[in-house]
Amino acid sequence: MTHEEIFLGNGAIALGLVEAGCQVVTSYPGTPSSEILPEVVRLIKSENLNTYVEWSTNEKVALDNAFAAAVSGKRAACCMKQVGLNVAADSLMSAAYLGTNGGLVIISCDDPGPHSSQTEQDTRLMARFAKVPVLDPSDPHEAREMAGLALALSEEFKIPVILRPAIRVCHARQGLIRGEIPRNGRKASFEKNPARWAATPKFRFILHGELNRKLKDIANRFDTLAPHNAHNLTTGKKYPLGILAAGVSYAVVKDILSDEARDDIPVLKLCAPYPFPEKLAGEFMSACDKVLVIEETDTVIEYFLRDHEKVLGRLSGHVPSEGELVPEVVYGVIDRALSSLGLKGLRDRGDGAAAELVKGLHLPVRKPTLCPGCPHRASFFAIRKARPKAIFTSDIGCYTLGLNLGGVDTCLDMGAAITMASGFYHSFAQDQIDQPIVATIGDSTFYHSGTAGLLNAVYNDARFILVILDNQTTAMTGMQPTPGLGIRADGSRGKVIPLEKVVAGCGIEFIEVVDPYDVKGMTGLIRKAADYVYHPDGGIAVIIARHPCVIAYREEAIPKKVKVTITDDCVECNFCLDRFECPALYKDEKLGHTAINQGLCAQCGVCLEICPKGAIVAA
Amino acid sequence: MENMNFVLSGLGGQGILFMTKLLAQTAVNRGLKIMAAETHGMAQRGGSVVSHLRIGDVAGSLVRAGSAHVLLALDESEAYRSIPFLARGGRLYVNAPPDAVVREEVRPYLDRMEITCRLFPASETARDSGSPMASNLALLGFFAAFQNGPIPSRELRQTIDQVSPDRFREINLKVFDLGFERGSAKKEKR
Repeated sequence: MTHEEIFLGNGAIALGLVEAGCQVVTSYPGTPSSEILPEVVRLIKSENLNTYVEWSTNEKVALDNAFAAAVSGKRAACCMKQVGLNVAADSLMSAAYLGTNGGLVIISCDDPGPHSSQTEQDTRLMARFAKVPVLDPSDPHEAREMAGLALALSEEFKIPVILRPAIRVCHARQGLIRGEIPRNGRKASFEKNPARWAATPKFRFILHGELNRKLKDIANRFDTLAPHNAHNLTTGKKYPLGILAAGVSYAVVKDILSDEARDDIPVLKLCAPYPFPEKLAGEFMSACDKVLVIEETDTVIEYFLRDHEKVLGRLSGHVPSEGELVPEVVYGVIDRALSSLGLKGLRDRGDGAAAELVKGLHLPVRKPTLCPGCPHRASFFAIRKARPKAIFTSDIGCYTLGLNLGGVDTCLDMGAAITMASGFYHSFAQDQIDQPIVATIGDSTFYHSGTAGLLNAVYNDARFILVILDNQTTAMTGMQPTPGLGIRADGSRGKVIPLEKVVAGCGIEFIEVVDPYDVKGMTGLIRKAADYVYHPDGGIAVIIARHPCVIAYREEAIPKKVKVTITDDCVECNFCLDRFECPALYKDEKLGHTAINQGLCAQCGVCLEICPKGAIVAA
Repeated sequence: MENMNFVLSGLGGQGILFMTKLLAQTAVNRGLKIMAAETHGMAQRGGSVVSHLRIGDVAGSLVRAGSAHVLLALDESEAYRSIPFLARGGRLYVNAPPDAVVREEVRPYLDRMEITCRLFPASETARDSGSPMASNLALLGFFAAFQNGPIPSRELRQTIDQVSPDRFREINLKVFDLGFERGSAKKEKR
């Protein structure tokens, strides 16, 4: 194919992987990384490849699996979001010491902003921490090249390599031309060598030395890694200010300088920042009186630059330390840096009038909310009704939005609904307080990291109600299948592992399944569960609230559609708006009471059960 | 060719991504370079959705505030929220009810910045065509009627034909055509 196709950044990465002969790709979904694996699957189907793909149960599992593939001599990749790499950190740190045979690229996608994450953490710091090289592409095209480069580097130096695209690479679109895709994969082989693959601490010391030597060699490589690491200095010329830019920020800086025709400002692009290319950076530093460092999201390059007197960046207060470096922010950063040095500023600076204007318009705040018809909304309503005084520990997924319904009090990390519930229980129990606690966790999150916490809670006799919100998909990240469904990443059948069996295996004796659309039934069940929890012979009660996601399963999810309306019995108590918070419910100023937006309504009929005045009725 | 920056805004579920895709594909079909940026994940769940599309030799995917040539908004409030993206002399196309007028407070800013603002009942147009969910295509048709830039209406129409799923192709074209027709009528009236 010779014509340009538009690729999503994550699709460009997938393309780069298969073009580089990557035979194994594992992943756990998470924004902004989720589309990489499905895009690999799309290529497998269109190009008839035999690449092995899996949705792993979590990121550590994904990395271990990909690592083994790389040890067997194949090229392998594992993909995750940046906080997923925290889960996989145990594997990463050790894999850096052991090294690889074939190529191993860990693709960890960063989310400056953050748009859809708990933190704005910078994967490049994890790379530095683990002592593995990291590549930071500036656009989809470069991400695709770097996917191949990472595998080649990994193989040459026998070291895992991290590719960290930021969200503006993952979710950018760009036209690309497909290249050759190799067909003949390598055969797996494993040569036993316990001193390496099962190294004890004494050997780990030796491996650490090897790792340090590899990093030195790779740093030399990175000194001349054009076009990813390169500057545009004119030899012998001195500059009052240079800009060192990395990753997506490089693209932003490039556009600004080109729009403003500022070729008087040289740029050092560092898209392969670690191991740090000292020589290249040194050249740039010595040609410039001051260097403005623009990198997302933390101070990685800035710390490596030895002459801090010369550097303008986060440490000097020139660059914001939180939030995404969007073009207007970078524009302001460059403009202020120029002005602070008495140099000519940028010409197209706005006066901020538009932003002030918008502020004064008091536009409706659009916070993310559960979809109309979402079964989680019904679950949270029932939970609050049955246990109004409980602490509601929750977890990561669409259902975090249960906080809009007052059904979520905490959200720490994957699996913490359960572990924080047991933590709260013991803290209150120590003071002889029977604090009601209801934990909510999604099906995919439970498979990801629910079991260890539940085993611990059962073993240590914590008491709480756990509601597993089973919508039979990984909804937030784009409807990836779970082990409970038994559908695999390529669409083939896998083994079904029912939640009930896993929960029973964790030692739970109270397990009930309910359809949350039956709000009364679920409310009653939660009360029954509460009795069990506080009985001396009781324990943790698990309720599986099972109803398919209305987005993933559309027709199937709402088989019996009910058109609803609101009568004049509505007294505007706002109970439904506050406690049910359905986007289809709104206050109609003309009618003088709450009404249904029929265009948004999913006709699930759940709201028929919630109005204290019985004003919501079938039409 | 000068670079051209589009911002598309609206609410989750209104089809902002599809609109962006149609514009981007039309540009690529003409051999132009594009960069686009999309909203995914948590932000998609009912919140504001903004897409960026840049046509030309550009490096970054985001449109800098104050540099958008065209803003297409499927929701009035979201149009106002996105106003800071517009450049001087930019053009704003907004889906708004037939009786809507531009808010009093916004007028002076638009005038001062020489921004052309056109309100268009895209939702009604989509409904009139028998596809109430397709206000995105109605607005695109309306916009196309005023276009002589890098996205000619005929080629945009061809892209809709090319990329629409089979079961939506006919209705998509119908909605687009009615939007275009109403846009052309309005243009002539001027």
